[in-house]
Amino acid sequence: MAKTVLKMILNGKPVERLVSFDDTLLDALREDLGLTGTKKGCGKGECGACTIIMNGKAVNSCIVPALQAMDAAVETIEGIGTVEKLHPLQETFVDYGAIQCGFCTPGMIMSAKALLDKNVVPSREEIKEAIAGNVCRCTGYLKIEEAIMAAAEMMQSQQGK
Amino acid sequence: MKKTSIVGKNVRKLDSVEKAMGAATFTTDISLPHMLYGKVLRSPYPHAKIINIDTSEAEKHPGVEAVVCYKNTPRVKFNTSATSTFTIPPLQPVEDQYVFDSVVRYVGDEVAAVAAESMEIAEQAIKLIKVEYEELPAVFDPLEAMKTEAPLLHGQCKEGRNIPGEKIHMEMGDVEKGFEEADEVFEHTFKLPVQKQAQMETQAAVAKVGVDGRVTIWSTTQTPHPSQRILATIFGLPYSKVRVLNPPYIGGGFGVRIGLSAKAEPIAMALAMQAKKPVKVVYDRKEDFIASDTRHSGYVTVKTGVKKDGTFTARKMRGLLNAGAYCSWSAETPGVLGAMGLSVYRCANQMYDGHSVYTNTTPGGAMRGFGNPQAMFAIESQVDIIAEKLGLDPLDIRMKNMMKPGDQWVLPYKCQSSGLEECIKKGAAAINWDCRGKVEKGSTKKRGIGVGIGSHVSNAWPFCGDYSNAYITIHQDGSVLLATGVPDMGTGTITTLAQMAAETLGISFDKVSVTFADTESTPFDIGSHASRTCYASGIAVVAAANDAKKQILQYAAKKMEVEEEELQIENNNVLAINNPEKQLPLNKVAVDAHLEGQQFIGVGKIVPENAPPWLAHFAEVEVDTETGKVKVVKLVAAHDVGKAIHPQIVEGQLHGGLAQGIGYALSEEIKYNDKGQQLNDGFHKYMLPTAVDIPELEAIIVEAAEPSHPFGVKGVGETGLVATAPAIANAIFNAIGIRFFEIPITEEKVYKALLNKENE
Ligand code: FES
Ligand code: FES
Repeated sequence: MAKTVLKMILNGKPVERLVSFDDTLLDALREDLGLTGTKKGCGKGECGACTIIMNGKAVNSCIVPALQAMDAAVETIEGIGTVEKLHPLQETFVDYGAIQCGFCTPGMIMSAKALLDKNVVPSREEIKEAIAGNVCRCTGYLKIEEAIMAAAEMMQSQQGK
Repeated sequence: MKKTSIVGKNVRKLDSVEKAMGAATFTTDISLPHMLYGKVLRSPYPHAKIINIDTSEAEKHPGVEAVVCYKNTPRVKFNTSATSTFTIPPLQPVEDQYVFDSVVRYVGDEVAAVAAESMEIAEQAIKLIKVEYEELPAVFDPLEAMKTEAPLLHGQCKEGRNIPGEKIHMEMGDVEKGFEEADEVFEHTFKLPVQKQAQMETQAAVAKVGVDGRVTIWSTTQTPHPSQRILATIFGLPYSKVRVLNPPYIGGGFGVRIGLSAKAEPIAMALAMQAKKPVKVVYDRKEDFIASDTRHSGYVTVKTGVKKDGTFTARKMRGLLNAGAYCSWSAETPGVLGAMGLSVYRCANQMYDGHSVYTNTTPGGAMRGFGNPQAMFAIESQVDIIAEKLGLDPLDIRMKNMMKPGDQWVLPYKCQSSGLEECIKKGAAAINWDCRGKVEKGSTKKRGIGVGIGSHVSNAWPFCGDYSNAYITIHQDGSVLLATGVPDMGTGTITTLAQMAAETLGISFDKVSVTFADTESTPFDIGSHASRTCYASGIAVVAAANDAKKQILQYAAKKMEVEEEELQIENNNVLAINNPEKQLPLNKVAVDAHLEGQQFIGVGKIVPENAPPWLAHFAEVEVDTETGKVKVVKLVAAHDVGKAIHPQIVEGQLHGGLAQGIGYALSEEIKYNDKGQQLNDGFHKYMLPTAVDIPELEAIIVEAAEPSHPFGVKGVGETGLVATAPAIANAIFNAIGIRFFEIPITEEKVYKALLNKENE
């Protein structure tokens, strides 16, 4: 099958990988780049488990052709925090009990991050809207929304400094 | 109860940081050297005989390394559910499945599978398999399937046409006499839909066969130990040569893999054995929908005799469930349906009859609540009908008749504690019950408030066997390894078990590590289901911790020249209770013992009793009378959990259950067309609640300590949706005066019912 070199800025670092024309960005991340934090729940753009941020926007990577990410800035769950310094969303998801099985979590956090990167004072409705495409079958969403609210507050005070 | 320092606290969950960072491993993340990808060919027909199957083209396809079908896989019958390993004699497990068979019995049934170098090649290859089918007559409705002209799915069944297992009968008192004593008798039949677990990680397994013949299977099973036995039996291997484990996380379960993960494990194993390379089988979402167990649909009929003052004098229930094409849990679910249905209200004269019926549809199996939500939709809807007719407040009739500790019931264990009254009172206050019916009239949007109560179990006995084991190993530095066979599918199991271990041992929480869900590193445990892990596995962990503690204290007593009984462990120190000056750090005790050739290893082996958790759900809804749309405005769930080891985890369980309960009540259903094809086979066609559908949720924890558990725990995993649907249905009745005998109560159904009402 025809292959092409995909170049992108992945989690802040330039990467190059040979990918097929019909590979999705999700395939490229999980299979070729070994970044399995991004999950596949449906492969059809219906669940949000594969959400990543591309050029500042949350997208379902399972329906984005890999080559569409050419020269793009791509952020995945692996790139937003470290054990020493978790991202505020990772911190609050842990502390507010927003994580049960954890399968929706990476996509959920990335959807929330795309929102908070643009708007650190979101309303509850805006939060619901931002994660409306992310299915979570475990939590009933309440603790997730609370965690996102709390992360927004953390980010506000960080930015205030 | 003694004051606790770790139990009852919201410690940081052991799995949460890994999961927040995307670093947690799930089966779908596993990749091994030389690993192949498996793909399954599925039946397009609801019932057919395979006349001929030609796999030669697929075998020749470049990149294909194994092709399996009924001709080259074991002819050993099994049941994918863990029940087959734990049916208590004289009952016998129903074993009606092969890895592949020459007859297919529902759309999606397994025909063959291929393993290839890549998923694309595997997908191409299954299209090259030529299958000649002879279509057979099919039946989709359980009532039809019992008729003499209906096709037989599995030959003659001893209890009746297409009836798997044994019919369930339960009885106490004299029902006919009870009905004679009644002033009024009510009888209604309710219809229940197929609900899908829709856990986020689909069914998956990776199988690796070693050169020595030992097999390792990483999978999404909720029950590694029972699954080990099922797989070893199918392939004729000693159990010790088959290792089943979670890697260690599972993307949800909700009952869909109590036993095998549909057939992901045996198919991966059959392919790996033939290819002599590791094989990964991951169901796509459609396969997960059409070819793995669902909640049972069916019918529940309730007949109740009542005195004018609301006292129940007799109750007769009948449950008829659609088993689908294979038995799975269909012999047990009707039993739980009846037992739970009869155990919420005190009534001297009760009777239940129930069973399942095979049809050519996706198998019904275990899903959160396991028959209980079906029972309680019927019971709790009818209790409101009775209250309405007799002019009683729905809360009063419930309080009057509710089961209390010491009351007689059909179950073989005792109800030793109940916080149900407190649940009802606190829940009613939270929903503003006093305002019920007082909201302004006239608007096209009508508000209503409803209630539903219920109970459940804290493990699987007596519906099948149940026991747990655990090991506690004290390292030389005083840190602890806990080994338990149960998975953590997101329910917080490892965290709560570690809390109980640390509390019992008197050590700090961060000193405990857990190995879990692995048949090689843990002793037998029946797994994560039946709301049992915190209760049953918890009792085993506490027993193991107490055993280790006894060894520590015995050893320290000699060293410290104090009687063993006078010693205690607190904050990682062994100390004399009456003379706290006299103390030794646990790490010193452990390393001294080590130098003298002793390690403290605690073993816990327990057979649990059982205990009913209690619950009251309240719903406030708003019905748009112009469109029929029902909006849930608020849900309150007050639950007696005995003791919340980790309150945040308990709330999370309740919230998640409530969300699934909203879906069950209003939107979720898999329907079929007349060709037996599932019409709702993906997320866009199956209406799961999303963040925008969730109302205000309030979880209220009530703690009526349970004497049969060392910390007073009762089950909570399943309870969150036991009475959600009837609470919502009762609220809808309160809003618009229309009673629905069928769920989901969709916008369309409400709209039609409103029109009918207008035309009356
Ligand atoms: S996996 Fe991409 S939306 Fe579901
Ligand atoms: S935590 Fe399991 S799906 Fe969201």
